[in-house]
Amino acid sequence: MEEKSTTSANEMKIIGFLCNWCSYGGADTAGVSRLKQPTDLRVIRIPCTGRMDPLFVLKALISGIDGVLVSGCHPKDCHYAVGNFYARRRLEVLKEFLPFLGIDADRFHYTWVSASEGQRWQEVVTEFSQRIHELGRNPGVGTKTKTENSVEAY
Amino acid sequence: MWNEITEKLHEVLRNVMPQVDVVLGWERGFNPLRIKPVVVRSEKDISRLVWNPFCVQNLTGYLVKNPAVIAGEGKKVAVCVKGCDSRSLVALIQEHFLDRDRLLIIGVPCQGTIDWRLVMKKIGNTTTVFNAHIEDGILRIEHSGGLEQMSIESVLLRRCLRCAYPNPVIYDVLIGETVTPRIDKSELYRNVAQFEQKSLEERRNFWIDVLSRCVRCYACRNACPLCICQDWCIAERRDPKWVTQRPTIKDIFIFHSIHALHLAGRCTECGECERVCPVGIPVMFIKEKLNEINLRLFSYEAGLDPQAVPPLLTFNPHEAGI
Repeated sequence: MEEKSTTSANEMKIIGFLCNWCSYGGADTAGVSRLKQPTDLRVIRIPCTGRMDPLFVLKALISGIDGVLVSGCHPKDCHYAVGNFYARRRLEVLKEFLPFLGIDADRFHYTWVSASEGQRWQEVVTEFSQRIHELGRNPGVGTKTKTENSVEAY
Repeated sequence: MWNEITEKLHEVLRNVMPQVDVVLGWERGFNPLRIKPVVVRSEKDISRLVWNPFCVQNLTGYLVKNPAVIAGEGKKVAVCVKGCDSRSLVALIQEHFLDRDRLLIIGVPCQGTIDWRLVMKKIGNTTTVFNAHIEDGILRIEHSGGLEQMSIESVLLRRCLRCAYPNPVIYDVLIGETVTPRIDKSELYRNVAQFEQKSLEERRNFWIDVLSRCVRCYACRNACPLCICQDWCIAERRDPKWVTQRPTIKDIFIFHSIHALHLAGRCTECGECERVCPVGIPVMFIKEKLNEINLRLFSYEAGLDPQAVPPLLTFNPHEAGI
């Protein structure tokens, strides 16, 4: 993945997959309350953590994204009743699996933040982005070869 | 010994033929080392079937993949299975791809299957094999270069060296005597534990090294009895576009991740993916890790209980620590 000129040198690329019903609202609450947050996170809104395909995380980390954060409703609080119960198992298996391929499992984190927990959201995102800054750039796999619509691919 | 078992198989099949429409089994290929799958529909063809350690293929995939082998109304499909194949059957029954009542399962306890590539490597790739005999763990081969003997253990497939379930876990008829597993269940994942002694970077480099040989022929996916998406496989879809057509290591990594994660908690370790790989990638090793995780987190082993639900297709609201 090529470095975009808009990305400043010390900013990390972190993707946050946030559940529409809880964590997305929680992040909104944090914003409305004017809580200071790190700017490395790019948010993707998903309808439920049950929508999370573990491959989203794997593809991001293989492509050289520095960190992936998944956040949804607390267990037993799911808008669709059971979505996050499925997600919990899948994401835990993924977290255990990542180091086997040689990907640092610390680059991936999943947690639960409700819509009213603006303060908690601030803590989660600050802590995670701090951890990613300590880990440094993610080498990814084969990210140096030019791909994806690049004329110099061959 | 193998001839006796083959004869027993013929006898059993002749007896059950009235209720069976079609039989899935193995027959001799173009040389004694090469066995091929065969679909038998009439009684006179039963004598074509064989059973010996060269019968490597897992036939259960033919029951679910198009064009699937299906029995006529009120009849059954008879399918020959080894220990590992029977676990694939259980997994397919669990997920309602197969109806247990429409199957007649003929189980054959397995003492390990032979990798013809290893044999050919030992006797020279250009030789012609005339005859192969196995007795008391010794493989005796008559070939154009003379006579050669080798122990079975030295030419087994990797999946057989780490087999803990050589006896079919589900069957209607069992042919031959049950055998003792080669390794204990507690030792199943010792290779995984050993691999995890390496550093993250060494592990990544290992996978980059072996996967860079991958030509994405999709043989591993096609041979897998549980990879049932077929034409809907997301590795070949343009929308959503998970992998590109380009042969880069990144795309190969994503393809193998798709294959492995779609089998998380379902893979029964029949080892077909690894056996069919033309460039010798240890494809099953990735799934071994996923199975190790499933065993540790959910105390679940795939393909043993037809009533169980694979752990990632269900949940437990009360589980702690996850």
